[in-house]
Amino acid sequence: MQQSALSRGLITCHCCNKPAHLRHEGQKCNRCGTRLHARIPNSLTYTWALLVASAAMLLPANLLPIMTFKSLGQGDPATIMQGVIQLLEHDMLWIALVVLTASIIIPLLKIVGLVILLLTVQMGWTTNVHQKMLMYRFVEWIGRWSMLDIFVVAILAAIVQLGNLASVVGNTGATAFAAAVILTMLAANSFDTRLIWDKHLELSEADT
Amino acid sequence: MTKQDDQLIQPEKFWICSECDLLLNRCAVPDQFEAHCPRCQSTLVASKHRSIERTLALAIAGLILFFPANLFPILSLNALGLSQSETIFTSVKALYDSHLYAVSGLVLLSAIVVPLFKLLLLIYLSSCLLLHKPAPLLSWAMKSYQQMDSWGMLEIYMLGILVSIIKLVDVAEVTPGIGLYSLTGLIITTLLTSTQLDKHRFWRRIEQLERRTCNNQR
Repeated sequence: MQQSALSRGLITCHCCNKPAHLRHEGQKCNRCGTRLHARIPNSLTYTWALLVASAAMLLPANLLPIMTFKSLGQGDPATIMQGVIQLLEHDMLWIALVVLTASIIIPLLKIVGLVILLLTVQMGWTTNVHQKMLMYRFVEWIGRWSMLDIFVVAILAAIVQLGNLASVVGNTGATAFAAAVILTMLAANSFDTRLIWDKHLELSEADT
Repeated sequence: MTKQDDQLIQPEKFWICSECDLLLNRCAVPDQFEAHCPRCQSTLVASKHRSIERTLALAIAGLILFFPANLFPILSLNALGLSQSETIFTSVKALYDSHLYAVSGLVLLSAIVVPLFKLLLLIYLSSCLLLHKPAPLLSWAMKSYQQMDSWGMLEIYMLGILVSIIKLVDVAEVTPGIGLYSLTGLIITTLLTSTQLDKHRFWRRIEQLERRTCNNQR
């Protein structure tokens, strides 16, 4: 019989994974000093809030320019999408795909993925629980890679300073984009996957 | 549950999956074997051979590589007699000069401060654990390391360098510097460190050492 630790009165430390009795909830873990909780407190509320904030940031991140590339005094501020199009115009299909995936597709997929996971817990969509776990691990792992474009702006702005010949400066869109990436990373961290299994067990018990 | 039940269950005898909360009986994991949760397949324990020694060695190697990676230019650009070179820090400063203060702080943290701090914490932790030397702040160091883990982004910085090189091919001649080779080495050692670190062994040792300090104080 597969049973959750919580139903046997055991909880585990979020930080060092040491098991403890449920009656110690709210006290500090005797190994690492982290406060013990059966589940991340207010996990769903925090995750929703961070997700809404990151979705809101995604608009300015994509609409505002993130850098200005001037060569021989000419050049306009470009958004992420314009950067991808410029790469395509220069026949750099693969690198355009990498930037498109990291900067536009992945942030969107992360938000959609987390919304599905949140709804899984709230609406009880607990079919394919294993698929949902895979989805969570993917969202958590891929999160950092969206910082790619920020680093590209930083590197180009540092190296392309050749006076009138060519220069790069960063623009405000970069701040919005970085904020969106950080917020989705925090959202993935504050989501407690154990809630999916709690719901799954609760529903399968109700069935039998 | 009755009070008696509560006392019968000894938490130390169990593993609890941190991702799906499945309760499992604890068992010994032989060296170099991993235990996975039968329900959600997340890793419960990954036992590594000589984890502490290897972590220490890799972290020291990483620290040695950290300095050339940050002090020497990573890329240099030449065009019509003008040249400009980039280190990780100048890329932080360039964002600052573009008035993107928050983003430059973020790049400073994720590409310089966090990777350095992670290496220092690992050297401190693994040398204390290796020498069985009770030291202050051990659990704090381990906790900070775990929390910082996903905020070090050197490998993504590396991908950024590749994208930048390709973007610049048309504009001017780009040459890699010593910094780039050191950075590659640093990224490889950092990735190897995270595969060699046996979290459970580290936490168990920290607990033993701290218990010993407590007993000595009595």
